[in-house]
Amino acid sequence: MSNPWIAIGALGLVAVAIPFSMMAVSSLLRPRVPEQGKTTTYESGEVPTGTTRIRFNIQYYMVALLFLVFDIETVLIFPWTVIYRDAVSQPNIGIVPVLVPMLVFIGVLSVGLVWAWRNGAVRWIQSPGQGLTGARES
Amino acid sequence: MSIADTLGSALGLGSLGPLEDFLLSLVGAAFVGTFVLLNTAVAGPWAKRKITAAFTDRVAVNRVGPFGLLIIIADAVRMLSKELIIPDGADRPAFDLAPLVLVASALLGFAVVPMGNGIQLADPEVGLAFLFAVASIASIALVMAGYASNNKYSMLGGLRAVAQNVAYEIPLVVTAMSVVLFTGTLQTSQIVGAQAETLITIAGVSIPSWYAFVNPFAFVLFIVANMAEVGRNPFDVPEAPTEIVAGYQTEYSSVYFVLMYLGEFIHIFLGGAILATVFLGGPAGPVLPGFVWFTIKIWAFFLFTQWARSALPRVRIDQLIEIGWKGLLELSFVNLLLTAIIVGVIV
Repeated sequence: MSNPWIAIGALGLVAVAIPFSMMAVSSLLRPRVPEQGKTTTYESGEVPTGTTRIRFNIQYYMVALLFLVFDIETVLIFPWTVIYRDAVSQPNIGIVPVLVPMLVFIGVLSVGLVWAWRNGAVRWIQSPGQGLTGARES
Repeated sequence: MSIADTLGSALGLGSLGPLEDFLLSLVGAAFVGTFVLLNTAVAGPWAKRKITAAFTDRVAVNRVGPFGLLIIIADAVRMLSKELIIPDGADRPAFDLAPLVLVASALLGFAVVPMGNGIQLADPEVGLAFLFAVASIASIALVMAGYASNNKYSMLGGLRAVAQNVAYEIPLVVTAMSVVLFTGTLQTSQIVGAQAETLITIAGVSIPSWYAFVNPFAFVLFIVANMAEVGRNPFDVPEAPTEIVAGYQTEYSSVYFVLMYLGEFIHIFLGGAILATVFLGGPAGPVLPGFVWFTIKIWAFFLFTQWARSALPRVRIDQLIEIGWKGLLELSFVNLLLTAIIVGVIV
């Protein structure tokens, strides 16, 4: 058997070579006409106002934090799913010692999720008086 | 069996040394890359327009070549020969890297997908985990694009993209795990192999035990999470042309625009490939060769996304977060535990 990671590395090279070759072809074909005003950022045809580095909704930060918790959790569940069927079918193990620890683990996380939910981590913040407009950003 | 092994035995080489392995893999990788690019070339400039036109009772591209197919070449030349405009204040390395990362990460995912007829570039033991890991690199590219463009629309698009990918990543992976409970392995070839068994025979027709039939609930959950993960309607909030112009790709022009677009389409096909591998028996199917079935399956997912694009309204960003965190996440865990109990009882 060949080493799978050599093959993945080979595809990695191809995957980078494809965009680079397209960039190279394009740089031979495309014109370059520098002109004042061309490089302004698009703001519906108006002169841009203010900076882009603005403060944005805290909600994005909250869901990112929540994601970290659950992402690490999936990493911990993956090995369990792989051994689960083998372990259950062992005559001297059975379902209880394999399933119950995972139930407890997911139970603890569910408590965490309920806590985050009740604290409004997954509820999009609405300013008072803007209940009907729904999503608020930036 | 990987492509390198197949080529090696066809050429009469015994055990492969690292260099031979690498060179043969490079041939295989070139084939996989070409196959994916061909699919996206047909899908992007031609099929997408034709399908949307059919939904809205129009004709769309029909001037260049038969059925307007030569529009693919015409569009490629047109887009590549556009002037590249870098916006003022763009964060240079990140602005240039984003399209590259988007395309490369999506292409890399195809390394472990079994495409039938022995076409599978690599078959590591951690195949499925690798697939999800690589597919989610795209969110980094989208944030880079959104932040580096120095445009307010791009910024909003980038933020929305990451909030969405983050919210739907967990249900996606957890639902796939409920399939791993059945297979007991992450190796993609074995996941496909486990689905070849007969589930039930009705009137002489044997239904294979594809996990879409074994666990239809997980299949539906996976499709929804997958649609959000590849950013298609009704979850195309990060681009939302009627709200924030084009989201993270607003400031991209010329070849960079082509690459962003290409990356998105490769991502849709990668989503279809994951769906086919995990739930639809991979390249399995009657009569036709496996490779043809694989192509049909990834195109079926693409057609499904295009149907959704024409038929379903977009959800709002707050609805998107609520559906993800308050709906899909809980359902996916319920599905995982129920599957675990069922597998534990029937074994």
